Amino acid sequence: MRTDVLDQSRGGMWAWLLQRITAVLLIVGFASHLISTHIMAIGELSYDNIAHRLASGFFVAMDVMLLAAVLYHALNGARMVILDYWLSAKAQRRALSLALWLVGVAAFIYGLWALWPWIKG
Amino acid sequence: MSAKNRETANVGAGNWKGLGMWAWILFRVAGVVLVFYLFAHIGVISSARLGGHHTMNTIFKTFDKTLFVLLDLLLVWAVLFHGLNGVRIVLMDLGIGITRHKAMFWACMAVAVVCFAFFAYSALNFIADKGGAWL
Repeated sequence: MRTDVLDQSRGGMWAWLLQRITAVLLIVGFASHLISTHIMAIGELSYDNIAHRLASGFFVAMDVMLLAAVLYHALNGARMVILDYWLSAKAQRRALSLALWLVGVAAFIYGLWALWPWIKG
Repeated sequence: MSAKNRETANVGAGNWKGLGMWAWILFRVAGVVLVFYLFAHIGVISSARLGGHHTMNTIFKTFDKTLFVLLDLLLVWAVLFHGLNGVRIVLMDLGIGITRHKAMFWACMAVAVVCFAFFAYSALNFIADKGGAWL
């Protein structure tokens, strides 16, 4: 079906929906993230400053949520850019999605590993 | 909508000219920049675990130099432009403001500029107070 082909070139319905949901999470999350780092803690950024923030469960939940949401949003966005110019075969598109999922999951685990000493407290 | 209209309806913000085109191009450029920044950011935050507290604090000291504070401000603009243009796109997808594209764009940009002013004030104040070396 022509419509199916067109929808595929747009990345699919679920990816579209998740891109919107993560977008809303990121707007809210970045407002908190940027105000707490760039305005409240400007010039004071250090290991201890981060430790102080991550002593609160609110910021731990916020940072882990942001890490997951931003990785999905960024890698799906990169996928949409790539699909606009390259990879027309279905198998290639699948391979790209799989590769990006692997990168995303690996980056999420790496990010959690990096945050762990602060989360553990 | 006919198949041909469907095909072009959502490409390049509809019109490959004027304001919509620039909104689309800058949205995409900012998006790509932010993808690269994300991975750099994860790398920097992991420096504490890779090299210890001192390694991380040394890197953060560099970020206090004037050049980096200004680059940081550019990054804030990329986030605000991408974010607020994204708000416009989400609203369009919900059917809000679809007959008033330009007004919606400028309204979102007005919010972005007001937010940016706060960050710029904070950053420029910091440079004036504690800034010294460019690098």
